[in-house]
Amino acid sequence: MSTAPIADARPLIVACLRITDLRPVVDPLTGAVSRDAFAIGLSAADAAALEHALRAAEAWSGRVLAVAVGPAAIEPVLRDVMALGASVLRVPDDAAGTDHGYAVELGGGEHGLARTIAAALARIGTPTLVLCGDRSVDRGTGALPAFLAHELGAAQALGLVGLEVDRSSGGGHPLDGRPAALLGERRLDGGWRERLRVPLPAVCSVEGAGTRLRRATLEGALSAGAAPVPVEPPTATVGHRTPPVGPGSEDGPGSTHVGALRPFEPRTRVLPSPDSEDPRIRLLAMTGALVDHDPPTLIGPLGAVESADELLRFLVRHGYLDQPAVPDPTGTEAPR
Amino acid sequence: MPELDAAPASDGTTGSHRESLSFDAVVVGAGPAGSAAALALTRAGRSVVLVERGPFPGSKNVYGGVVYGRVLDGIIPDWWEQVPVERWVVRRSTMTMTGSQSLSVDYRSQAWGAPPFNGMTTLRSQFDSWMAAQATRSGVRLLTSTVATGLLRDDRGRVIGVRTDRDGASLSAKVVIACDGVNSFLAKEAGMLPRAEASHYTLGVKEVLELPRGAIDERFGVRSHEGVDIEMLGCTRGIPGGGFLYTNAETVSVGVVVSLPHLAEAKVRPEELVAEVKDHPSIAPYLRGSSLREYSAHLIPEGGYDTMPPLAADGMLVAGDAAAMTLAAGLWLEGVNFAIASGFSAGQAVDRAIAAGDCSARGLASYRADLERQFVLADHKRLRKAPALILSDRVQQRYPGLICDLVEGMFTVTNPTPKLGGLRITRAAAAKHGVKLRELAADTVRGMRIFG
Repeated sequence: MSTAPIADARPLIVACLRITDLRPVVDPLTGAVSRDAFAIGLSAADAAALEHALRAAEAWSGRVLAVAVGPAAIEPVLRDVMALGASVLRVPDDAAGTDHGYAVELGGGEHGLARTIAAALARIGTPTLVLCGDRSVDRGTGALPAFLAHELGAAQALGLVGLEVDRSSGGGHPLDGRPAALLGERRLDGGWRERLRVPLPAVCSVEGAGTRLRRATLEGALSAGAAPVPVEPPTATVGHRTPPVGPGSEDGPGSTHVGALRPFEPRTRVLPSPDSEDPRIRLLAMTGALVDHDPPTLIGPLGAVESADELLRFLVRHGYLDQPAVPDPTGTEAPR
Repeated sequence: MPELDAAPASDGTTGSHRESLSFDAVVVGAGPAGSAAALALTRAGRSVVLVERGPFPGSKNVYGGVVYGRVLDGIIPDWWEQVPVERWVVRRSTMTMTGSQSLSVDYRSQAWGAPPFNGMTTLRSQFDSWMAAQATRSGVRLLTSTVATGLLRDDRGRVIGVRTDRDGASLSAKVVIACDGVNSFLAKEAGMLPRAEASHYTLGVKEVLELPRGAIDERFGVRSHEGVDIEMLGCTRGIPGGGFLYTNAETVSVGVVVSLPHLAEAKVRPEELVAEVKDHPSIAPYLRGSSLREYSAHLIPEGGYDTMPPLAADGMLVAGDAAAMTLAAGLWLEGVNFAIASGFSAGQAVDRAIAAGDCSARGLASYRADLERQFVLADHKRLRKAPALILSDRVQQRYPGLICDLVEGMFTVTNPTPKLGGLRITRAAAAKHGVKLRELAADTVRGMRIFG
């Protein structure tokens, strides 16, 4: 199934969702990410974005479109979104559903992703408001909303903890010619908050805290249970997952170029060969076996002054200080 | 090209029409019993909604055992080519043990590793989802993340649907099939389950441990998709129950199943019992270097035939664990196959009742008759006395040590003392463990009557 532009005067509010495994397993050696199809879902931030989209649509009598880039495996989650009354659109991204390795994952740029989504939205209509979670759970950088705002030519307000329709300007409606804006709230250092008046059209990202996604009604859940999920035609996708090839590439300067990946290996150090004909002696010298080591020193508990003195004596004993560790009782000479 | 329409956000529906909330049957619980019941109904052309409280079928289920798929032969042709199997069990080992001894009866059949197979290890999240997918592909409406909070009744007290936790909305149906698992709240509300008796339940505690596939193959002596099932007796500090160890593809499931009241009485944490099983000299080498992936616990209805509720009420049937259909009879530890068979029969019985226009308990009585004709109630009835014997003090606390000492006496070379006869060794072992030969003979006869 694909989509076609439709004439609809209602404001279009888009929830841009990143549906993925919420508990991916990361190989500590290679960084490879394993995903479980049973664990996919919405992050708290994306759920909050969707709830804010639904609230904005209620305030403006608008329509909600949830867009997600991903393979067919994400469709059950999109059906849950449909059950809430939103329309959905899946933009295919086969690379996300297949094992292309960490390099492709790492090279997937948010700019390319933003262009893919903007291209898909262009076929639907001009969004009044786009809402995103402030970051996705799988290596999300939080940069997508900013790129999306750039692509759509919209204002941006990122990392919001609260978002509501600005009713101080007469409850402006985005399509009736009167001023319309949103009020956003964002955290500042020291427990302070700042309030932003966000003009429309806008792209906003929201935190997951403080907003709970509503539950679908029984009727909504039943009707969405087996409904087909509209899919953007593959030709419209930009292929943002293709690893860019460096400066001057189609993705533009600053895009990420990922070369070969391998597990971390410490740099090789050249050590002089021990001076002995006997291989056993050489082996002992290289391994440090049978060498008399200082045993761990356990002292204390000591006060701060005694501890400092003990540390200084240790440094002198090992040649890091060349004068008596115990301070001169006259107080005229201090260790270096 | 179909059009994409963005619907209003407030009404909770995606289309202009309102969904009908009335069905031929509501099946509560998308486990094996529920999915089988729904499948039977939808194949008969009935409208069914399958209600699951978890986000997907299998998400709430805990089971570390072997699934015997023979029951699927008549339901899903060539099921073994589709089922999400971890390993096909080709080795079945029964281990009697004490803290430092063990005697294993180990059987292997390569025939079990080829079609039509015998038993398999599988992960319930995958198996239950697969079963539910069979049903939804046939037309069943699956409703996840929804709890059936109670029964709807008409003015004559007949069950006519369920209430849900979605704004208190209800689903109405001619029949409700309760497949909501052990401790079924719907069966209780319907008055079909008597007051829960703790002695009819056991607690299963399981750890899933990660091991490389190659290590599992090497340590358990299997290849490729072959798997092993080890059942243990005598590893629970005398608390009635037993232990288990099953191989999955890249994990093993290890744990214990113990009597609920005895566990409470012993004041032992169940995870301590699992830790002791893992440390046992006969088990520890299998698990060396493994890492814990998952810990879970679940009640199991092991009371058997005599503790089953009435299976039908006016407008309602009970199947699977909700009807206490887990078979725990020592040699045989089965549950999923009983759930599938009972669920499928329940679905067929509901279809017959709807066709006959009688969904009362009398009209649904063919369900029980059907189960009595097949293994579900036939096996339970024949083995109804097995749980009492298997969980008895002598079998649980004395016989494991007796058997191990007996075998140790037979195999220990006592030179220069001449070898003792088998009878003397038996008497000595029995005396050591406080077992009279008369009791031993009586239990042997009892076991023969049950299992013979």
